[in-house]
Amino acid sequence: MLGDSGKAQAVFQTTLHEAARRAAHEGLPNERFWLFRDARWRCLEASETDLQAEPLEMEEREITAEAASQIQRLEPIQLAIWISAAPEAQRTALAFFYLDEFDYSEIADLAELKLRELSRLLAVSRRQFQAWLDATFPEGPTV
Amino acid sequence: MKTRRLSRRQRALANCAPVSEERIRDRSMRAAVLRARGSNGFANQQSFDRAVAALVRAIPIPPEAAEWFSRKELIAPSKWTWKKTARNPAVLAIGIALVVIAGVFVFNFVGRLSDFPGSGTARKLLSIAGSTRSVLLDPVAGDAGTLSDLFFLKHGLEHYDVPEEFADFRTIGCRVFDDDEARRVAQIWVIEKQMQFFLFPAERNAKTGAVLQFPGWRYVRQEGWVGAVMERNGVCFMAALRGREKDLAPYISKTKQ
Repeated sequence: MLGDSGKAQAVFQTTLHEAARRAAHEGLPNERFWLFRDARWRCLEASETDLQAEPLEMEEREITAEAASQIQRLEPIQLAIWISAAPEAQRTALAFFYLDEFDYSEIADLAELKLRELSRLLAVSRRQFQAWLDATFPEGPTV
Repeated sequence: MKTRRLSRRQRALANCAPVSEERIRDRSMRAAVLRARGSNGFANQQSFDRAVAALVRAIPIPPEAAEWFSRKELIAPSKWTWKKTARNPAVLAIGIALVVIAGVFVFNFVGRLSDFPGSGTARKLLSIAGSTRSVLLDPVAGDAGTLSDLFFLKHGLEHYDVPEEFADFRTIGCRVFDDDEARRVAQIWVIEKQMQFFLFPAERNAKTGAVLQFPGWRYVRQEGWVGAVMERNGVCFMAALRGREKDLAPYISKTKQ
């Protein structure tokens, strides 16, 4: 969500520190994903002070069969930066979805979205990412 | 490849189809994925998502943070609980149906507990008691216990005796009539609380013809009337009045079992 491992590390430690403090004093909330919810808000807070990307009309392309091989040519950090640059709530939806730990209702709950909104954001993100892949690897996959 | 048409909700669900199939936890998502599986677009989406998820897993995690994620699963699946199961509409519907069935069963069982040979006839006679007017009966003024001789001499009815608990009650009238179920029935109207007495043949075993006996007094209720029934010498006696068991209880409390 932050595209910066240093900031991510700081948010992670603050979240755990706060969780340990609450466990010792108030007791932990009786809610399954409270830690992720908490971490998400800390990420949003941490990125508020960053330079914000200008709202941009991004190109969209239909996903192609070659997309998987294009993605394999990416560096993980390129993907992390692409996701972290996405506007909220698209960024949260993508981060939780590709973490592959939650089902759609849990993601919608965490990102405070309705199913249709989540569905639209994921579909739009895939098409935008496909357009970006096509722009990054214009000649198609190398064999 | 042949594709099946998806509803709007199924299309929305298919867009959110999880990368790993084991994350499919509800039926609507499973149905949407099954339906969408035939299309090239969905196949491309799935391979796209798998590739992105693989790349996400490859994003380096600082060692200080990584040691917190030594477990294979980041999130433990939600635990099975009685509370969660009970909220399932199907389980709720089955539960309600079972409660209703159990209720009917218990109601019938409790009803059967108070049944005795001749209880059906007794209930029918209580209905007759409720509709009988005194003008239908032959006027007879005397003690109820003395009517046994009248029934024997005039109608040939043996053992149609009023038990001693009720023998001293003064009568208003009586009659003997035929009933499909109870056959020859003697009906007596007494002054005391406008009670009515019925004498009718006891139920018999259909094969052996033996009288189906039962000990002591038994209560029956029908349409606001209550009757106390006892069997003696193959004849049932029923004292009936409009009211409840507690109204009859004082008359038979000494002998009731």
